[in-house]
Amino acid sequence: MRLLMWWSGRALSSAATLLGVSVLIFAAVRLMPGGFAETVLGPFATAEQKAELATRYGLDQPVFMQYGHWLAAVSGGDFGISMISRQPVGAELLARLPVTAELTVLAVAASVLLGVPLGVLTAVRARPGGGGAAGRLLSGLGVSVPEFVLGSLVVFVFSRYALGLKVGSWVPLTQDPAANLATMILPAAVLSVFAISVTARTTRDAVMGVLVEPYVTAAVGRGESPWSIVRHHILRNAATPVVTLIGTTVAYLLGGALIVEHVFNLPGVGSYIVQAVGRRDYAVVQAGVLLAAGVFIVMNVLIDLLVGAIDPRLGVLAGRRS
Amino acid sequence: MRPLRLACGVAAALLASACAATGPITTPTDAAQESAAPGYLAVADQALAPGGTLNVQVHIDSGAATGYDPQLADVATTWQLLSLSYETLVTVGPDFAIQPLLAEKWDTPDDRTYVFHLREGVTFSNGRKLTADDVVGSLKRLLASKSVWVGQLGPVDEIAKDGDGKVKVTLKEPYTPFLAALANVPAAILPMKEIDDKSVDPATTLLGTGPYVVEDHRQDVSWTFRRNDAYWNQGKPAADVLNITIAPEEAARIAALQNGGAALATLGNVDSESMLAGAADVKVVTQATTDFYYLMLNSLKPGSKLADPKVRQAINIALDTKQIAEVALGGKGEPTAVTPAGLPGSCDPAALPSAAKGPDEAKRLLAEAGAENLSFTLTIFNTEPAPAVAQVIQQNLQQAGITVKIEQMDEASWSGKVYGKAPAEFDAALSWFAGYADPGMVTKWWNPETAGFNAGFMRPDPALSAAIDAAGKEPAGAARDRALAEVCAQADADAQMIPLVTRPATVAFRTDALSPSLYATEGYGNVLRLVADARVKKSR
Repeated sequence: MRLLMWWSGRALSSAATLLGVSVLIFAAVRLMPGGFAETVLGPFATAEQKAELATRYGLDQPVFMQYGHWLAAVSGGDFGISMISRQPVGAELLARLPVTAELTVLAVAASVLLGVPLGVLTAVRARPGGGGAAGRLLSGLGVSVPEFVLGSLVVFVFSRYALGLKVGSWVPLTQDPAANLATMILPAAVLSVFAISVTARTTRDAVMGVLVEPYVTAAVGRGESPWSIVRHHILRNAATPVVTLIGTTVAYLLGGALIVEHVFNLPGVGSYIVQAVGRRDYAVVQAGVLLAAGVFIVMNVLIDLLVGAIDPRLGVLAGRRS
Repeated sequence: MRPLRLACGVAAALLASACAATGPITTPTDAAQESAAPGYLAVADQALAPGGTLNVQVHIDSGAATGYDPQLADVATTWQLLSLSYETLVTVGPDFAIQPLLAEKWDTPDDRTYVFHLREGVTFSNGRKLTADDVVGSLKRLLASKSVWVGQLGPVDEIAKDGDGKVKVTLKEPYTPFLAALANVPAAILPMKEIDDKSVDPATTLLGTGPYVVEDHRQDVSWTFRRNDAYWNQGKPAADVLNITIAPEEAARIAALQNGGAALATLGNVDSESMLAGAADVKVVTQATTDFYYLMLNSLKPGSKLADPKVRQAINIALDTKQIAEVALGGKGEPTAVTPAGLPGSCDPAALPSAAKGPDEAKRLLAEAGAENLSFTLTIFNTEPAPAVAQVIQQNLQQAGITVKIEQMDEASWSGKVYGKAPAEFDAALSWFAGYADPGMVTKWWNPETAGFNAGFMRPDPALSAAIDAAGKEPAGAARDRALAEVCAQADADAQMIPLVTRPATVAFRTDALSPSLYATEGYGNVLRLVADARVKKSR
């Protein structure tokens, strides 16, 4: 019963969040400067052609009616038609999703495989008054440098000096996995810098918090090996904030993918949205943002379930989270 | 320790593989450009075997909202892509010479009549033979459409079949740019039988007589063309497959060129050539185009000082177009009048009335107009080199005591502000026109009654409009040159749109992967005009 109530609550709050996002994004795209007609049809279009375009896409109706029609369509799985390509937005998002998913998975993998060990290492080796400063500086830099700066730098260096990893020549994974990886490593690396830094910092803080717990002192007193202590006492107890962070990082990385995909010319959801914003392709922007919000919500639910599995005291049935 | 080892191992492996793949850096030579024939930047080596896949990257996809219909295409980037599948009766050759294409020749029994002799053996890519009905139907369809190109096609009176394989076009009055207007994609010959019986919708399907057929198109991602095996021009196209990737970021196109992902790419930033200066096997060439930047001064904004011709004249006089070309375009563009510099018959911009005057005259005119402390906003889009052009304009006008605030925005916002309302809301704006292939064509955009898109910020100038029409009627020769000079002088005095400098196209290609043909000049922004000639050296 409690589980059912939890799921009901999450479903309701998720629906409310999505509804709020839908209102905000719908209003935001219409408040953007620059008319869709001039952008989509170009400067040579006549007033008649502009009116035809508006009628075709229902953009001549009152805004609240446009919103109602759009919301009804989206509820039925119809994300609308792109004014630029005149193709269904849903199909195009689906075609581009694998690129963004691959990029995100690679970036998350890098953040876990590098960020967690680095965080543990810097925590267990930290000494009072020394150490950790360099790590904090590096992670601070990693958090601070925006993707478009780092991405542009990487594109310049790796295009100017080749170095084997390709930029601007994306190949589908299904066509040639090796060539695909060669084109995805750099954007994934750029995207993961922030995530690695944050993961390392969070892991370090979490581990250091656990290190002072009595059960760790007791384990040391029992003569357990350092690896055994890390594995059995530290990692599991420090995992909750790290898992939560990684979950939210996935959603953050989807946002970062907008920039990285554009800079590296990857045909993912991010570059689709960036181009759509530039061309005032309303349906695409609305669907893209709604999709991102949906992913964020799903990730939050997964985090809650995962945290509950790691520490049942914090689980969905413990009555402490909803 | 293990995490540290793992991290070090990954880093070392990446570095090792990266260093091992580093190629030699050499300085490119100008050999290809030096050896090209007159009128060409490069000529494809016909000794190379045909076949292979040609990978090209461009910065933007087709305009698309109107679909693939060539008659409704109104920007050069769309013309370029559609020209791979569609052909016109005539085409533009080196140095803007009009040459036969689907019409193997034409007669002009008088100055108002053109009889086109259609080429034998031409088929659409579905295998159906091209007929005179397709030609007649296409041109009639164009004239009945909302295409902006109707204004360029001129005073067409009648289009009719003239026996087997011939089409006669009669004009209401002489119109010299007619053939040049026929040479552009909106005047392409469409499969009218299929369009009429509705088995083909040109908005969604490309079915032409051109060298390539579309295999796949993903909007804003890529095009894949394969050779049209039934193409009438035997031996062409040389490449079996043509992949065109849309790469909006210039840095990504440069990267693709350097790492071999692209064999040819178009570049927009004037600094890109120097960025590629040390790249191995990459050659950068600059194609002179008739496209040019111009400054729009809004004379319709209520209360604006720019409505006063003296104020606009002062601005025109204060502009130093040579400096704009040198500083903002790295010396690659050149000053132009309303007739694009470089086109045969165009006016000399140095001979314009405004060119002989200086900042003192500009200040005097401003004083006469009571606008000594003139200040206005210049609205520009953020694509290079527009910001650089705007900065030089700002500095030029400062010499005459005019304060210019630059307002930079993305292209959509810019379009909305410049073309969204009538009267338009901007003070001044920067843009560029494709200059086409005849000096009289683009001058038509100086008449807002023909170019409705300009009606939001400029008033018709009857004297200028009359001069434009008169120049259109004059046959090529000294009399037309004088008529065009009059148009240039009138536009210079009107100064609602002030021509600035030409906008060259930069093209880069890999010499180890491709032997392309490229004209030295281009009027319709079509870098891929000769792509059917290009020979792929090896599959990459």
